[in-house]
Amino acid sequence: MNEQPRPDPLLAVAFTDVTQRYGDVTALDTIDVAIPSGQTVALLGPNGAGKSTAISLLLGLLEPSAGRVATLGQAPRAAIASGRVGSMLQSAGLPTAARVGELVDFARALYPSPLARDDILARAGLEALAGRRVDSLSGGETQRVRFALAIAGDPDLLFLDEPTVAMDVESRQAFWRDMRALGEAGRTVLFATHYLEEADAVADRIVVLSGGRVVADGTPAALKANAGERRVRFSLPADASNHLDRLDGVVGVSRHGSDVTITTRDADATVRALARSQVPFRDIEVVGPDLEGAFLALTTQSQPIGATR
Amino acid sequence: MIAAALRPALGSPLGAYLRLEIRRQLRNRRFLIVTMALPLTLYLMYTAVLKLGADTPGAPSLASLFLASMATYGAMAAAMSQANPIAVERATGWTRQLRTTPLPRIGYVLTKLATAMLLTVPAVALVSAAAVVVNHVDLPLATIAELVLAIGIGAAPFAALGILLGYLLDVDSAQGAMTLAFFGLAIFGGLFFPIDSFPEPLATIARVLPSYHLGQVARSIVTGASIGLLNVAALAAYALLFGGLAAWRYRAVERRSGA
Repeated sequence: MNEQPRPDPLLAVAFTDVTQRYGDVTALDTIDVAIPSGQTVALLGPNGAGKSTAISLLLGLLEPSAGRVATLGQAPRAAIASGRVGSMLQSAGLPTAARVGELVDFARALYPSPLARDDILARAGLEALAGRRVDSLSGGETQRVRFALAIAGDPDLLFLDEPTVAMDVESRQAFWRDMRALGEAGRTVLFATHYLEEADAVADRIVVLSGGRVVADGTPAALKANAGERRVRFSLPADASNHLDRLDGVVGVSRHGSDVTITTRDADATVRALARSQVPFRDIEVVGPDLEGAFLALTTQSQPIGATR
Repeated sequence: MIAAALRPALGSPLGAYLRLEIRRQLRNRRFLIVTMALPLTLYLMYTAVLKLGADTPGAPSLASLFLASMATYGAMAAAMSQANPIAVERATGWTRQLRTTPLPRIGYVLTKLATAMLLTVPAVALVSAAAVVVNHVDLPLATIAELVLAIGIGAAPFAALGILLGYLLDVDSAQGAMTLAFFGLAIFGGLFFPIDSFPEPLATIARVLPSYHLGQVARSIVTGASIGLLNVAALAAYALLFGGLAAWRYRAVERRSGA
């Protein structure tokens, strides 16, 4: 314990060989991720990929089963105590009968150098709701109150776990506009999402988690380029027996009824192999790489598409 | 002067949380009914409307004795009121959210304790005011202050019990268990009917309950007698017992909720 190398203070977040188990379930499996200050990073993955576990570790709500976690170069709980970290947890309940403005005042009192009250209310889009009781708010409004609490302390590092879950499309767009502004102000933002568009539009960098492992880590552009994978789509009778995953070049297969999508490193080889096989496919098409494809290819290796729990 | 001394404390995280909690509770209709409207109504019904029982010359008036009982009752209700909020806030994840802020981890339960104790003040003050205004009970301001203070401090075992239930039980059972414990303590502790009228062994059981001892402290104050040492010792013992159990449950829950 005492021979550990000092964590790098310039890193906002550092996972070193982190494993997290719950009983027999391994939620995170030897994760190694370092995030320098100032980046806006998306933690992308299907439900159950380990995103919330990763954020809980960074907030000191969990101790890792193995490995080291550093937040702002310190032990997570010390970083929290310093007041430089803000967080928005997935569906954390707000105290009933409290008014929005009172909660913001309370949150400000918790931090050494909070943002101005009006500034918080404006950024969270709550100016008109300051006098409302939190129990009378809609899901999206409640989510904005959680966001207000997260930014109240003017944090250097902001964790957001599925922040737009209860929001409609419009609030979602407004929310990410604000988020980008926070990122441009030099803060480090780490947000978990399973919305690909959000990660692509907002993040400087995407860390893709699947089955508790980091399966990709890079800029949205790099992820698309590196993927290099194409998808071969066709229809197949639902009862047709097949071993599509054994075809040349295949990295992933998914089926929705009769619709089959194969992700492949080498579309030509896969299509040739498909033609040679006895598979009764129809309506075949080959689609080029995009972020969606990259994401699906990465996450389907350990989990079938459509089975996102 | 007191306000000036308290100002920096109120600006601190704990002070800010305490202020939020008091405001929330005073907005809670159920809380206001159980801790204030109910004891006030019962007091006025017994002593001013129905005028049950006649005063014996030379003995303390019923209006003052029942004031002591209803002040104790209201204070008990206020002190035990945090059971349900604790159970609810543990379930909804509010306590988890607080753990991601610089509020010291012990701050949550300390605030609940302070809230419970402070909210006994309006409960005691209200019934005392009714006694003076409606029943013309001869109660100097200093005696009311003593009553508020003594009952507030003496309510510590009940505050600890409320916190214990909040950490012991889940949302569904905490409210019910609290209500049951509360009315059991109030009725069998002799707050509604004097225990002189209890048959054995009920009277013996009553003398063991903390509610009886807090009631005795209140009665001593309104009748100008000195506070019984036995009553104080019993309340202190209950405070230690429930406080110890609450601390043990609190630690177990904290450990389970990680790190």
